[in-house]
Amino acid sequence: MTANKPQTAAATTARGTGEVVEFQLDGRTVRALKGQNLVDALLEAGEPISAFCYHPGLSVAAQCRQCLVGIGDGYRLVPACQCTVQHGLSVRSQTDQVRDARRAMLELTLLNHPVDCVICDKAGECALQRHYMDWDARPAAINHEKVHKPKRVDLGPNVVLDAERCILCSRCVRFCTEVAQQQQLTMAQRGDHTVLTTAPGQQLDNPYALNTVDICPVGALTDKDFRFRSRVWELWSTLSVCNGCAAGCATEIHHKGHEIYRLVPPKRWDMNLSWMCDEGRRSYKAVGTERLTEAVVDGHPATPEQGCARAATALALLARRDPTSLAVVLGADATNEDNFMAAQLARHWVGARVFVADRADDGRGDTILRRDDPNPNRAGAQALTADQDATTTSREALLAALGAGAIKGLYVVGNASELAAPIAAALAATEFVLVQATHASALTRAAQVVLPAAAWPEVDGTITNERREVGRLRAAFEPPGQARAHWAWIAEIGAALGQPRQCASAKDVFEQLRDQVPLFRRASWGEERPTVRLRWACRRG
Amino acid sequence: MAKIVTIKRTFWDQLYLPGVVRGLGITLRHFFVNTFGSKEIETLRYGEWDRPDPPPSSDPDAWRGKQKQRLRPERFRGRHRLMKRDDGSVRCTACMMCATICPANCIHIEAGERESPTSRSVEKFPLRFEIDELVCVVCGLCVEACPCDALRMDTQEHLPPVEHRRDAVLDREQLLSRAGVSIARDGGDGEDWRERYDATIGEARQIYRPDKQGHDDATIGYRRKPSS
Amino acid sequence: MLAILGWSLLKIVVMLGFAVGLSAVLTWMERRQSAMMQDRIGPVRANIGKLRLKGLLHPLADALKLLFKEDFIPPRARKGIFVLAPLLALIPVLLVFAVIPFGPPLCLDAWRTVGPDLAACRPEPLQIAHIDIGLLFIFAVASLGAYGAVLAGWSSFNNFGLLGGLRAAAQMLSYEITMGLAVVGALLVYGTLEPMELVQAQATLWDWGIVRQPLGFVLFLCAAIAETKRAPFDIPEGESEIVGYFVEYSGTRFMMFYLAEFLEIVFVGCLVATIFLGGWQAPGLADDGLRLFGHYLPLSHGVVVLARVLTFFLKVFLLCFLQLAIRWTLPRMRFDQLMRLGWKTLLPASLFNVVVTAGVLLAAQAAR
Repeated sequence: MTANKPQTAAATTARGTGEVVEFQLDGRTVRALKGQNLVDALLEAGEPISAFCYHPGLSVAAQCRQCLVGIGDGYRLVPACQCTVQHGLSVRSQTDQVRDARRAMLELTLLNHPVDCVICDKAGECALQRHYMDWDARPAAINHEKVHKPKRVDLGPNVVLDAERCILCSRCVRFCTEVAQQQQLTMAQRGDHTVLTTAPGQQLDNPYALNTVDICPVGALTDKDFRFRSRVWELWSTLSVCNGCAAGCATEIHHKGHEIYRLVPPKRWDMNLSWMCDEGRRSYKAVGTERLTEAVVDGHPATPEQGCARAATALALLARRDPTSLAVVLGADATNEDNFMAAQLARHWVGARVFVADRADDGRGDTILRRDDPNPNRAGAQALTADQDATTTSREALLAALGAGAIKGLYVVGNASELAAPIAAALAATEFVLVQATHASALTRAAQVVLPAAAWPEVDGTITNERREVGRLRAAFEPPGQARAHWAWIAEIGAALGQPRQCASAKDVFEQLRDQVPLFRRASWGEERPTVRLRWACRRG
Repeated sequence: MAKIVTIKRTFWDQLYLPGVVRGLGITLRHFFVNTFGSKEIETLRYGEWDRPDPPPSSDPDAWRGKQKQRLRPERFRGRHRLMKRDDGSVRCTACMMCATICPANCIHIEAGERESPTSRSVEKFPLRFEIDELVCVVCGLCVEACPCDALRMDTQEHLPPVEHRRDAVLDREQLLSRAGVSIARDGGDGEDWRERYDATIGEARQIYRPDKQGHDDATIGYRRKPSS
Repeated sequence: MLAILGWSLLKIVVMLGFAVGLSAVLTWMERRQSAMMQDRIGPVRANIGKLRLKGLLHPLADALKLLFKEDFIPPRARKGIFVLAPLLALIPVLLVFAVIPFGPPLCLDAWRTVGPDLAACRPEPLQIAHIDIGLLFIFAVASLGAYGAVLAGWSSFNNFGLLGGLRAAAQMLSYEITMGLAVVGALLVYGTLEPMELVQAQATLWDWGIVRQPLGFVLFLCAAIAETKRAPFDIPEGESEIVGYFVEYSGTRFMMFYLAEFLEIVFVGCLVATIFLGGWQAPGLADDGLRLFGHYLPLSHGVVVLARVLTFFLKVFLLCFLQLAIRWTLPRMRFDQLMRLGWKTLLPASLFNVVVTAGVLLAAQAAR
């Protein structure tokens, strides 16, 4: 008898009723949830079982037959994915009969697979490759020429199909039908000539199409963006949260050096299952290009110290004259820590008014993952200004105040994206503008002081999604040049204003935030998850 | 059987001075004989003198200065080169095996996609292939890792001295400048590979066959009764 | 005043010319000699046209190459100290030559005279600086060289360099004690710290340090070779295997370290010749001519002085040759062996030597 692994969050929420039952696995007693799929239960019990066609987020097809097990005393083997856990179930998994059957099925699967792992993007995280290496690792027993199929089929704007590599597991077909709700993929022909293809007149073109690449157990479907750019074992993985919209999907940043190669969803049954939208996956592209990397004071490059000193002098001067003519703009794209520090500066250090800069809803939301709200942290920024009437902190109020000439000094935290141009156009009456941004915009060009900010893959921190769940960003790598996190800049300016330094890390800021803001009292910083190399974490299929 | 030998050193031995003097005597004898004696010193001038192939073992004087061949062993690891296919395209498929195994991280490859791969080539190829010969530790692991016989170190050349560090970074064209056509056959071994395979490692293959209980190969596992 | 300046300059040129020139030749000798000892040919390829001089042009080629090499300073090195360290290694070695007497007092006016009365003509000692505590000065300045090694290793931001520097510090500290104590015996015998007087006291072969202080000679030679950081004591550098304190140095700065090392060989040769081998004294060569086996050949003062200077240089050269031979004969010691030898063998032996010498001298005094 070996001890069971502890129940994970995935198991409790994926399937099953919540009632814990016991069943027999090769003579040992294993605990699992009643009604849970047997494949998941076996995997959790540490059984080295593999499945190409079964996926916890999809319906059961039982096509690959890699999860064959014996049930009870039954002579015939059945696919585990078609069984659910019942009390007193007796499962045979490691007998010669089961092993031989699985091996024969694996041989069938590999019959027409080209085994071009050398140039396959999936190699290193391929379910078939790993399974073969773990279980079989012997040459094919049949000496016929393999069936040749098209090596490069353009399925849609994002996905390329290598029909030879396809093992016809139909995960992608089921995904499109069941999750993306678009019947775009199908199988055509018969026997070993079966190919995956798009339905007549259709393309694989839906907002979630790239998930098919993730769930493909082999390298048949490849992402046009990631194709041939890197081998997966060269990449490092950092768990973070997608900043594409207010959904706040958990995501893994796959990066090498200071470059992000792709964003992929981890398996998080409490969040976004293992799905992510295509737009979110592409959102990394904006991070790396044309970044602000050095402080600018009055149009000239400057050191960080010069920038902070100039900002502190101007803020102190304006605050002495009339604090209400100062405005601090929180960003709906900045983390809670950044906004908390900005609000602290506004309220306690200089006494300024507080606004929230966000982007307007764009109506692209759906019932799957995507939301209308394109701001990653609007809820968090609004939570920090919850003691004020929402209309006095809105972007309309900010533009109105600017237009009325009531604001002499403006401090913008974050990019302000689509608001940048309107704000820059309404700066006629202001004397001093300080902007912390990652990218240049009309606003940074109009500002007296620009401080380069770290983008979301480069910071530790928390953001609050639309459902008011606090998600944890983890820094994948260092920000470029002089760029640093918003809160660090604000702390620096605070020090120049004569405020004592209280925070050495984002976690310190978060703890202050949790202690001081009632709405965040139950928020958690989350566990520390180090950046890992994918070389040894090779199971994603 | 291990045998423990205890060396007994007398005081005279432990003084070491006599040993030092004796050693000095030997080296100085060689020095004076070689410096003032009439006999020429027997030596190979590495990289300068030539030898025939194979070197005669009986008559060491016979080969001196006779034929033009560099005095380097056959498996000397020299400058890298990339190999070509029959059709003249680069053999490398940018699989990154060499870059992955390289202990010095001196290989940098950027992959590209061929517009129209033929049956003799694959769609992936290196757009950029750079080896920094100054960083390279000349271990030869990249050559061993290459599954395509695309990378070799058999040029018998040292890297020539360079003016700038960047000149020692060989790019794809420089690596291809010494390219040859590999003896490996494009498109695989063909029909008869299994026979050769059986002849070489067929023994090992037997281990994996599910015929331990007397069934022949064709027996499919799940037809059998479950073993109890 | 002008005469003093002129004499000093002349002596500096002769002494340093000899030392630096010999160390340059030693770089060639080291390679050619080792080649001959190992039945090889060694470097003979540097040439000007057809002129090869058996490879004697190699030091020239090396110097040219090193001068024109890239002057590389590691990005994270402590730049100031990194630049200073080779100077700290080189300058002390050059300084110690100041008190080495390379010839007897010279009376230029009476150079034709046979056996002039030196007291009458205010002779010029052939020694750059006449210091009463010459030997103390030598030990004080020579030990500064350790700073060069330690600072070089520490400032170059390299783990191997740092470890090499630490090894150098430990080794030099350990062997300096033995070196100092080994000389004490000789000092007791001759009763002076001034090198010139030390040499003058060794007038006959019977008075030479090696005869009066055989154990002291061996101990001193051993410790002095350890001070030069050369095989079998080359653990701080160990260029072929363990990498030493100047790994990060290249070009001119590397050349300074290298030059310092070879100058140390010459310096050790000078010191051993002065203390133990009678310095410029040649057996049978007296102030007024050659006296050998009862025969007498009168020689003028100038000839005698020249012969004695050449004698000194020859002794130094032979001692350098011996050091190179030792370096190419003995294998490198392990660090624990090195420390054991230094602290548990050489140090007690040198103390024993001091005690015995003092006892014998006391007994001789009492007998008189």
